[in-house]
Amino acid sequence: MPSTTVIILDEYPPPPPQLYDALRTMDAELVTRTLPDLMYGDTEELPVADVLLVPAESDGESVRTAVRRLRRRAGAPIVVVWTVAGFAALEEHVRLGHDYLVPPFLPALVGARLHSCSERAGLGRTLREADARAELMGYEKELEIGREIQAGFLPESLPVPEGWEIDVRFRPARQVAGDFYDVFEISRGRRLAVVVADVCDKGVGAALFMALIRSLLRHTAENSGLQHLMAAGRAGGGRRTPVVGATPLLNAVTATNGYLTRNHLRQGYFATLFFGVLDPVTGSLVYINGGHNPPLLLRADGSDPVPLDVTGPAVGVLPDCVYTLGYAQLDPGDTLFVFTDGVPEARCPGGSFLGDERMLDLLAGPPVSGKDVVDRIDLAVREHTGTAEQHDDVTMLALHRPRAARGPRADGAGHRVVA
Amino acid sequence: MPLSVSLSIEGDTTVIELTGELDAKTAPDFHQTIEKAAGHGTSTVEIRMAGVGYMASAGLRSLVFAQQKVADHVTIKVVGAIEPVSRTIRTAGLDRSILLSDD
Repeated sequence: MPSTTVIILDEYPPPPPQLYDALRTMDAELVTRTLPDLMYGDTEELPVADVLLVPAESDGESVRTAVRRLRRRAGAPIVVVWTVAGFAALEEHVRLGHDYLVPPFLPALVGARLHSCSERAGLGRTLREADARAELMGYEKELEIGREIQAGFLPESLPVPEGWEIDVRFRPARQVAGDFYDVFEISRGRRLAVVVADVCDKGVGAALFMALIRSLLRHTAENSGLQHLMAAGRAGGGRRTPVVGATPLLNAVTATNGYLTRNHLRQGYFATLFFGVLDPVTGSLVYINGGHNPPLLLRADGSDPVPLDVTGPAVGVLPDCVYTLGYAQLDPGDTLFVFTDGVPEARCPGGSFLGDERMLDLLAGPPVSGKDVVDRIDLAVREHTGTAEQHDDVTMLALHRPRAARGPRADGAGHRVVA
Repeated sequence: MPLSVSLSIEGDTTVIELTGELDAKTAPDFHQTIEKAAGHGTSTVEIRMAGVGYMASAGLRSLVFAQQKVADHVTIKVVGAIEPVSRTIRTAGLDRSILLSDD
């Protein structure tokens, strides 16, 4: 492989024969291009070279433009300007920092000059690579700091009420995520708030909105009073009972939606979320599903999972919209499985999705424990994704009420005494 | 899979036709087209999505972004979306402000 690559500029005047002879005798690869090729041609097709050989008659600024493009491609070549008699034009190039060659074009002189230029070009490339690496490391470090700070917006530990199990799986697709989950006590510890949310889009933008939305939801819910509320169920009719925890729930979601639509509508970020409030004593759950994939209530008897359908739009899209409350009951042996779209939309290398059907198949039968449900789905997601790039954040939360926790009489069946 | 985006004007309607997948990688192309479409000032912006096989949440964001870009009186229509795509739009509740239609 030649030690030097030289681009010979195909412009008038052509290099004199002695210069050509000298170039041919040295260990160099010679390529020929016109100035317009270098200035306007496809970047991918620009040659990688150490030296750009230019007649003094060429326009200095055009040569600089060409060099800038070559620099972006693979490092700048050293410009060597030659002339036989055009010394005024040569002077102009030298002012621009270009190197030069003048007669006699003896092979040893030309060779030595071009080799030294080639070394300078190599040094420039090395510096440029070092700069690029340093810059990349800087970005990666910043992103790592971002990831650590974002981790601080997830709960450090989960307050699990006695007689319940909570299992969470959180696998972001990138260093920073748009998904989040949260579990915290409200109404002076009498209720448990469970949130799973997905901020639209990915990357740093989604991560910033994640921090905002999580904080608004949690802060509002924690600071809402203990008032009882005559909460109207979606179906109306029978379930109009006062529900502790419904006020913080409604306040949190409506206030967050109001804040986002008042202050951030132009940015177009929003979140789909499931926000449930559990009474750990009775297992009753009141919730808002704001445009989120319906969580699935897996029954202890293995009957078909019950989807907790949407009760309002995604949060941050529509000003002044109404969120209604949904109700569910978790009996011993039941599991509530909440997840984000990264689960059914996990893609295999061929591009096909895991899909809702497959998820329902995997969830068929009575849930053994929340951990078992999360593990089973997570394994399926990872096996399905295989070698493909993880497309989206994956978040799962299972809220399980074990059978044994409330004693043998928990389901009202009581002891059977065998004589 | 890449997204192809085309933009045309038919009478008082600006038509954006999308083919491919609308996700975090391809949404920026769609955003640029929306900005151009908003500049046309027609009373309707029609987004033809029959050729969109998959729309991620980044695509939903594009639709919200579109609403923000056009003037208040402009109607945004999403036309011909396949069931999984229209379900994504309905689940998020965006069908309350964007008109979903089959053709």
